[in-house]
Amino acid sequence: MLKQRGTSLILQVLFTVLALPMLAWASGGGVEWMDAGKFALIIEMGLGIGVIFLAWLIKDKLGFPFPKLLQAPLIWITAFIIFRVILQPPIPFSLLAIYMTVVTIGVLLYITITQPNWEEFSKPIVFMLQEDSGKAKMSRYITFAAVPVLLAYGTYNKMLPKFEEPVELRTVHPAPPASINVHDKILNLQTAENPYRIDDSGKYLKVGLESAYFGKNPWATDAPKYLQNVRDGGIVFFGTAGCFFCHGDNLDGKGPFAFAFNPIPANFADPGTISQLQETFVFWRVSKGGPGLSREGFPWASAMPPWEKHLTTNEIWRVILFEYWHTGFFPRTWD
Amino acid sequence: MRSFNDPRKAKIGAVVLLGVIGLLLLLPFIPMQAGAEEAKQESAPAEKKVEKAKDVYYKGPGEFGIVSGPPAPKLKYPDDYGTYGTFQSRTILWVANQQHLYFGSFVLAVPMFVFVMELVGMLQKDKLMAKKYDDMAHEMMKISLTAYSITAVLGGILIFTFLALYPGFFGYLSRIFKPIMHVYALLFILESGTLYIYYYGWDGMNDGGFLKWCHLSIAFLLNTIGIILMFFANSWIGFMMSPAGVDEQGRFLGDIWKSVHTALWHPLNVHRILGNAAFGGGVVAAYASYRFLAAKTPEEKAHYDWMSYVAMFMGILNLIPLPFAGYWLMREVYGYRQQMGITLMGGLLAWVFIMQAMMIAILFVTTNYYLWQAMGRMPGAERYYRLFKYMLLVLIVATISWLTPHTLVMTPAELKAMGGAQHPIVGNYGVMSAKNTAVNIMITTTVFCFCIYQRCNKVPTVKWAAAGNAFLGALFTGAAVNIVFLGIYGYFIPANVRIGLSVPQVCSTLTTLFVGVTINTMMMKGARQLGEVRWGQMSPRGSYALFCLAVSFTWTMAVMGYLRSSVRLHWHVNEILRDNSPWAFTNPVGYAGNMNSMNVLLFWTMLLFVFWLGALSAKKAPVREEEVGVGKATLPAGSH
Repeated sequence: MLKQRGTSLILQVLFTVLALPMLAWASGGGVEWMDAGKFALIIEMGLGIGVIFLAWLIKDKLGFPFPKLLQAPLIWITAFIIFRVILQPPIPFSLLAIYMTVVTIGVLLYITITQPNWEEFSKPIVFMLQEDSGKAKMSRYITFAAVPVLLAYGTYNKMLPKFEEPVELRTVHPAPPASINVHDKILNLQTAENPYRIDDSGKYLKVGLESAYFGKNPWATDAPKYLQNVRDGGIVFFGTAGCFFCHGDNLDGKGPFAFAFNPIPANFADPGTISQLQETFVFWRVSKGGPGLSREGFPWASAMPPWEKHLTTNEIWRVILFEYWHTGFFPRTWD
Repeated sequence: MRSFNDPRKAKIGAVVLLGVIGLLLLLPFIPMQAGAEEAKQESAPAEKKVEKAKDVYYKGPGEFGIVSGPPAPKLKYPDDYGTYGTFQSRTILWVANQQHLYFGSFVLAVPMFVFVMELVGMLQKDKLMAKKYDDMAHEMMKISLTAYSITAVLGGILIFTFLALYPGFFGYLSRIFKPIMHVYALLFILESGTLYIYYYGWDGMNDGGFLKWCHLSIAFLLNTIGIILMFFANSWIGFMMSPAGVDEQGRFLGDIWKSVHTALWHPLNVHRILGNAAFGGGVVAAYASYRFLAAKTPEEKAHYDWMSYVAMFMGILNLIPLPFAGYWLMREVYGYRQQMGITLMGGLLAWVFIMQAMMIAILFVTTNYYLWQAMGRMPGAERYYRLFKYMLLVLIVATISWLTPHTLVMTPAELKAMGGAQHPIVGNYGVMSAKNTAVNIMITTTVFCFCIYQRCNKVPTVKWAAAGNAFLGALFTGAAVNIVFLGIYGYFIPANVRIGLSVPQVCSTLTTLFVGVTINTMMMKGARQLGEVRWGQMSPRGSYALFCLAVSFTWTMAVMGYLRSSVRLHWHVNEILRDNSPWAFTNPVGYAGNMNSMNVLLFWTMLLFVFWLGALSAKKAPVREEEVGVGKATLPAGSH
């Protein structure tokens, strides 16, 4: 019985120890067959469960009763390691600060969650502050010396001149105007529709129904009307306009020119870009480019050219069709 | 009040009074009808001369109105704008508006709260409990009375501020809403009258029978008037965001109902009713906490501990549907103007939504924290302590997910290291699929916490207890699985379908609320008690949590008000009346945060004065043991 329990424990520990780096590896896109973005939710949850499991193993199964005073910083440090080291590519400092603030609040709530918890946590602190024994006195001196030193270091670090680039609050989706004028035609961005979103019978293809064409070959000789338009859009993307130079073959914003720009071009493969927008919004951005961005939130930084000067309206609509088809996303609609 | 002592006279008097108030409630509809009639009459004799124009919103065949007013003025600075020294005029107006709104919300919410409490008191079989509820309702009304005067004073200040600083804009708005602005003022008088009758008639009408019901009916009328008043004020802000009833030049087209009933009017109405009620509950809970912490006797402590619990419960009951009302409002905003929706949620103001998410997360986390603390006064609750940390973990993970911004603040170097404006993993949490999931999980956790609270000091004795527990376990697990699954599934489908998924998500949440709580309550019928609730023995941390809850409500209101107003950008009236003052730019988030904090601080300073006044007069009437039934366990509604 005991042996069985021991084996089970060893397996559990092994699982936990291995699970964390494996999840980290997978979350960083290390697995070819696994699209890191799509499985991100599962991976993040797995990480959380792994940490709890580990804590449970150590505390309840292996019988190491961590003092609450140690548990609190341990939770904080574990969270920091997850957000700073395991999560790759690295998240910006501003986001890390938000996450760690929430974790800090969570830790504070945890130690005060019940009266016994709070008493267990505060007991050593009260002992250190009030007791007259040598041990308490020593910790008191160390603490009272360390606090001003840490504060002084923090102040010094804050005041020290830095030569980093300033942070930017870049609006990802600027608000579009109500209507735009492209090639002497007024287009109402609230109501306009992509004229090439049609099926073989010539009817308007409602958003969502185009999924039937996903994964099919647009170059096939008997390709349906919709796919023929997608193909034409692809020709614009890779040929006429050469959008792939910046936005990449996979539309992930990592084209050969991409890293020459600041900021780097938009990643259409991310669920936070074109899938959040109406087709008319994308039409506005393609046709008017960086110079046509709204005044709201100026100054802008975008190297996108106003494509209306190089492409026809029809070409712009088709390239948009291609972008959605290639990424497998659907434009936003309200019907 | 003496005549009320004669039951016959009192009944006649009460019926007449209710009738008069009821008739007066019809007032708002008279000018609307009159306006329509007037427009018809004007159109009849001089049909050829009248100019017709297209309504900017109510378009469509045959929907043409008769031009009945001048076009929106083209405002100029400094002619049409006033100043006070070097202050931004809009900042001054901001403070005046916000303070009036806070107190207005408070005096609107407290009578709602009081109405429910009085009703609960009347429905109680236990006379002691009935008296406790009644006394609490009365005490709250007293607080509201002082706040009412402050509201009126602030309303006056607001009008003068408008007249002094934005005369051109205010003139245009009052020309359009002329018929209902008068009614608004009249309704205020009516509300004052009803309020005073309600408050001063409390003891006189407390006969436990017909007169008490009349008294309750007056509370109902008071709330109805208050809500109509709020609807009127909402119609003005609705018009400023999504104008209707005017043509493209801003000329009024003769139908006031169309200007009132704009695209965003009802979403705003629903959102504000719930918001105000939640805010009212939070403020009352804070008041009770203040009295709890300041209480000197165990009896007083027990009373205010119980009161803070009941108020918190009322606040949370309204908080739970609030995010859904908010989603509806945002959906309507998107439906009305894509650019307004994007400015709010994906563009310029997206970061303010992160602040708002943080506040809502604080509200839910604090509520749970309060309930955990409150369980400390329940014998037998120790059985559930081990669950708290897991609930906290779920809440923190949901908070982190909800707080993840879509638009990240970063240096160009960080941007390049990340490989784009969105992070491949974290970016998934910046969109609505994740956020809907997070908030639904938070609400479900709160409901779960409440179910635990209900059964803390009890052991179910019903025959089907094991089956009931299994069902509850399956219900909450199923709801969580469904919510998370739909959240993930949302990434693979079109946006319009994805938005539709929020309905089954919400249904899962609401099922846990209604079915879960009902089953749990049924299981607790005749349950074996492990001990009485030790009211008054809660940790001070719980009281501080309620302060946090109330201040978070206040701050959230300020943030969301700023957001709603700022989305018009450089328009006084969206796309109709342009803001040509030097203050037409959108404030940075930091400035808005400071302003909101200042407004919250100012409101709470004034409110503390109101609380102090309440406590001042209460000192004259010491709590008497035999009256309030001290020592007997009090049983708040919906919990035991």
